[in-house]
Amino acid sequence: MQVTMTEVLPVRIGVDIGGTFTDLQIYDARSGAIFGFKTPTTPEDPSIGLMTGIKEAADRHGFALRDVGFLLHGTTIATNAILERKLAKGVLVTTAGFEDVLEIGRHVRREVYALNPQQPPTLIPRDCRIGITERVRADGSVEVPLTAAALDGLAETLDRLDPACVAVCLMNSYLNPEHEQRIAEYLAKARPGLKVSCSSALSAEIREYERTSTTVLNALLIPVIAGYLDKLTHRMQAEGFAPRLLLVQSNGGVCSARTAALEPVRLLLSGPSGGSAACALLSGILGEDNLIGVDMGGTSFDVSVVRNGRVNVVMQGEVDRMPVRIPMVEIRAIGAGGGSLAKVQQDKRMTVGPESAGSRPGPACYGRGGVGATVTDANVTLGRLNDESFLGGGMRLDREAARVAIDTGVAKPLGLSVEAAAEGLLAVTNANLGAAIRLSLFEKGVDPREFTMVAFGGAAGLHAVAVADETGIRRVVFPQNASTLSAYGILHSDLIHDLVRSRVIDAKPESLAVIEPLLENLLADARARLDADAIPASDRHIELAADMHYKGQAFELTVPMRSLQLDEAALSALIADFHDLHRQRFSYSNPGSAVEIVSLRASAIGRLPKPAAKPPAAHDSGRPPGTRKVWLAGHWRDVAVWSRDELSPGATIEGPAVIEEAYTSVLLGDGWSCRRDNSGHLVAGRHQ
Amino acid sequence: MNADVADVEITPIELEIIYNALTAAAAEMDVTIWRTSRSTIVRELLDYSTAIFDRNGWNVAQAARIPSHLNSMSYFLTEILARHIAPDRWGPDDIIVSNDPYCGGQHLPDIVAFKAIFHKGRRIGFVGTLCHHLDVGGSSPGSYGSSATEIFQEGLRIPPVKLVEGGKLNEPIRDIILQNVRQPEILWGDLQSQLASLHIGAASVERLAMKLGDVRFEAALGQLLDRSEAAMRAVIGRIPDGTYEFEDHVDDDGISDAPIRIHARLMVEGDELTVDLSGCSPQVMGPSNATLSSTCSTVFYALIASADVTIAANAGCYRPVKIIAPPGLCVSAAAPAPVVHRIAIGHRLATVLFGALHQAVPERMPAAYYAVSYVVTLQTVDPVLGRRVLVEIEVGGIGALPVSDGASALSFGMHNNANIPMEMIESDMPVTFLGYGLLTDTGGPGQWRGGLGLWREWRINCAMAQLSTNLDRFKFRPFGLAGGEPAAPSALYLTRDGQTQALRSKVTNMMLKSGDIIRLETSGGGGFGEAGLRARELVERDVRLGYVSAEAAKRSYGQSV
Repeated sequence: MQVTMTEVLPVRIGVDIGGTFTDLQIYDARSGAIFGFKTPTTPEDPSIGLMTGIKEAADRHGFALRDVGFLLHGTTIATNAILERKLAKGVLVTTAGFEDVLEIGRHVRREVYALNPQQPPTLIPRDCRIGITERVRADGSVEVPLTAAALDGLAETLDRLDPACVAVCLMNSYLNPEHEQRIAEYLAKARPGLKVSCSSALSAEIREYERTSTTVLNALLIPVIAGYLDKLTHRMQAEGFAPRLLLVQSNGGVCSARTAALEPVRLLLSGPSGGSAACALLSGILGEDNLIGVDMGGTSFDVSVVRNGRVNVVMQGEVDRMPVRIPMVEIRAIGAGGGSLAKVQQDKRMTVGPESAGSRPGPACYGRGGVGATVTDANVTLGRLNDESFLGGGMRLDREAARVAIDTGVAKPLGLSVEAAAEGLLAVTNANLGAAIRLSLFEKGVDPREFTMVAFGGAAGLHAVAVADETGIRRVVFPQNASTLSAYGILHSDLIHDLVRSRVIDAKPESLAVIEPLLENLLADARARLDADAIPASDRHIELAADMHYKGQAFELTVPMRSLQLDEAALSALIADFHDLHRQRFSYSNPGSAVEIVSLRASAIGRLPKPAAKPPAAHDSGRPPGTRKVWLAGHWRDVAVWSRDELSPGATIEGPAVIEEAYTSVLLGDGWSCRRDNSGHLVAGRHQ
Repeated sequence: MNADVADVEITPIELEIIYNALTAAAAEMDVTIWRTSRSTIVRELLDYSTAIFDRNGWNVAQAARIPSHLNSMSYFLTEILARHIAPDRWGPDDIIVSNDPYCGGQHLPDIVAFKAIFHKGRRIGFVGTLCHHLDVGGSSPGSYGSSATEIFQEGLRIPPVKLVEGGKLNEPIRDIILQNVRQPEILWGDLQSQLASLHIGAASVERLAMKLGDVRFEAALGQLLDRSEAAMRAVIGRIPDGTYEFEDHVDDDGISDAPIRIHARLMVEGDELTVDLSGCSPQVMGPSNATLSSTCSTVFYALIASADVTIAANAGCYRPVKIIAPPGLCVSAAAPAPVVHRIAIGHRLATVLFGALHQAVPERMPAAYYAVSYVVTLQTVDPVLGRRVLVEIEVGGIGALPVSDGASALSFGMHNNANIPMEMIESDMPVTFLGYGLLTDTGGPGQWRGGLGLWREWRINCAMAQLSTNLDRFKFRPFGLAGGEPAAPSALYLTRDGQTQALRSKVTNMMLKSGDIIRLETSGGGGFGEAGLRARELVERDVRLGYVSAEAAKRSYGQSV
């Protein structure tokens, strides 16, 4: 059954499949309501849990499967397959003589004083890397042609190795893809079952190692993702469930199942993109152009940045130390979460993380055999976390075990009281979180004081205000549905295709003759992709940008173009924007220096209809808050404890206070106040 | 000295927070250079460093870049303050630059730039950057010849001068520098990155000082040095007392064929350690000489790296260590000895120190790594493209550890250089690469095998090119330990008109023509433990992956695969 974009069905589902839970967010246009729903993830085949959850949610919330127009699907299947090495056998085809580029990498290491350094992982071993005779020069011309005999030889070697997928990355193919294309075409005919991924089609950018790494990851993921999508589609068909299926990409947008099956590397770092998409959405709702999103869970603290209403995107990331050269939401992740372990070194230095107690055994207070002192143990010890109602009352925390862990692990080695040790542990943690934020913003040349923080994830609420103080941020938003914010972001995603053409061009009027055909080609490609996605003209939006640098630099700044045409005036505006951006980010610019355009980029966006959600009803019980002893700034104090669900819109709370909800708590320090707005978000501000 | 400083109490927790903030400032400086620099040696090979210093010039915090730079910068800065720019002449908006090895530097391509940080009118510290520049003039492209006999041939020597004075660029000094180098626009681009990095680092440190106040800030920096000193003393205290000696040799100095002896005697007594280098060869005629500042940096790297716990590396670590090196040795060269290949001496000294420490703490020291920076410099002059200079630094295999194989083709931490993407080089100069790969059978055999070395081939595509190399390990192979065997030696070849000839390790200004092919082969790392003890499945895997040939498996491991 073909569902086109013009048929408007009332229900849309956003789903985020995590390690433990599958989170659903369901929007029904008939009632204007958004429901959240959680169901256990089924790791052996996540499509089982997903389908079960959808059916249960349909029963519970009164919609039929045929009412669902869109299923927007976020998943960490790709990431987990790489991290756990659950991958099919792959072969890498390179230019002869360059078979080891993948294994040699870039030589550098992060632990410069370590005696036992290790190379980044090599996912295709040396006996599965094949050199083929051919060579393209650095101007794109062919020095050594690719012969039919070489192709036949390749097919024979592949028969012997019997892989499920093949990555092809040849020298200088970013300039001339012809040889890679011929290999792909040949294999499509000669060995039709084989999944083939070419670097020039995926990531046509200079630097052979980074491009090879990206292509290898993509090829190895094709069997994983294509296999999952097959299972999911069958399961959906069996239920008569036929929404349009879209997958969440690392760039914060979604793509069709067809694109995902061919270019699954685009899903690889999509885990945090739902949360940052939600931040971009909040930026509009709150009327705040500049947001910094902080997502703190059990093991990590992820920082993303929204500027002028847009999520910041970078052109390269990495997974398990392997580079991935595709556009992705910029996330700075540090190993600091609720489960992070504190250690006192022999020289009395206290460090927190990146080692984590995880969820098993977890923090000492979980009572599952963990003995190390964690961030959560410090929060419990100081009364900041309610030991009675953790996880919505689903779990009791062992406060005494937390105290013992802090005492043994931190207080005794440092000669401090348990309270001072726990407070110190949190101070070190908050300083690290603040440093991560400063570094994220520093790289953009912007001042934290111009930003509002959005805090989400289970552990962020207790740290956000302290970290804001640390960095000079004066406003913090605790969104409604903070624990399923990622699925909420996914629910509001748009289709995005990222396209790039790499060519080093002098940024001057004489080059317009070269730039124009490239731009035309790029725009035609962008339109063709939106055609394939059946996006109507009114919902299309194409944005162009140029990666630019001063001649000699290797790192580019991505400068947005103001329109889809580039004439002489537009080019000089683009160059002026580049100088401005360079000055903003690096404190200087060289207006006299030669500027080059390295790549032209297009984002082809297919806007999906946006849910128009009604605000949630308030359940003001009129009850006064409870109180609890909480250790703040060196003293035990009686602190008001509120229930978030019972706060009425407009109600204002003065710090110090604790605000509890099912899966998280917020700690408001001295000098801060907080009110619940009409959309249910808590907005905290510093007033002193 | 501020009288109140001694009385300030700072908790270990607060101290750790301050240390992290200073390290983050150094990291911000690092990112600035990485993102804005112009030369392949800085932006791709990452040959630069950034650090924070106290008001007397001692290093307090470092970015995770190149320890060989980082632990020498204090010597440079303290020397500048003691002899060249008195503290009262160094204002808040002055930036001092220099590259003089005989003022605490290492070799001429490394230009340092320092800026003082002031708070309420008082100097509270410094920020510093060091970049290896592509070319600083002299007789060889890339300023990396191997035949200089005096430093005057190695390039422009810049004494400590104010490149920026009172916030204003000193244009005549800039012009003198740019007039004397082969690719002035690239050098100036990289130097501007250094200046930008200093501004950004200074702002970040000033913010911290503002938060803490000058007295607490100064006290904290002092305590950070004390803390690292205490950690270093504890590490030394856990090494058994005694005297440990080791030696190895650098092949030659490029002028004569005489080997250069590197010898160290370590004396551990309680929590102090003396490194006596008096047994090293006298300084040599060619550029394989190290200044004392280079040598101290190597010693501190080797000691911090071999510690049994992670230490916050800074100048506090230097205090419990005494280095004996009378002037005029290859590890303590006196002016005007040439020094550009000082890293050959430094790398070899690092392996010698590891070899000595193996006798004291055998459970953690690795066998020898490749222990030389394989420096290959090319200049091409093309009628269309003009002049292009390329400085490449390649690496080899890491030595095997007592519990694991050594990594292949990975930088030793002391110099931590990246390679340069071949596509990047081809896009800018008339050179084509014929290949880049791991070299079978180059890892030293042992129960744990040394990492593999690599090969790289360049072909020249223009009528006029010049090659200079500063290589080593052609004669003295990376040693094994505990019965492990040495790795394969390195080699360099020229193929011209179908004929291949072996070249010596140090080549200067060799004229190349179109079609010439240069092939570099680097050493692996030494093996650890008897080869006969190696597990059969590891030998089988090595043969399957081509790390070891079937013949070598039989010869070295006695196993038929």
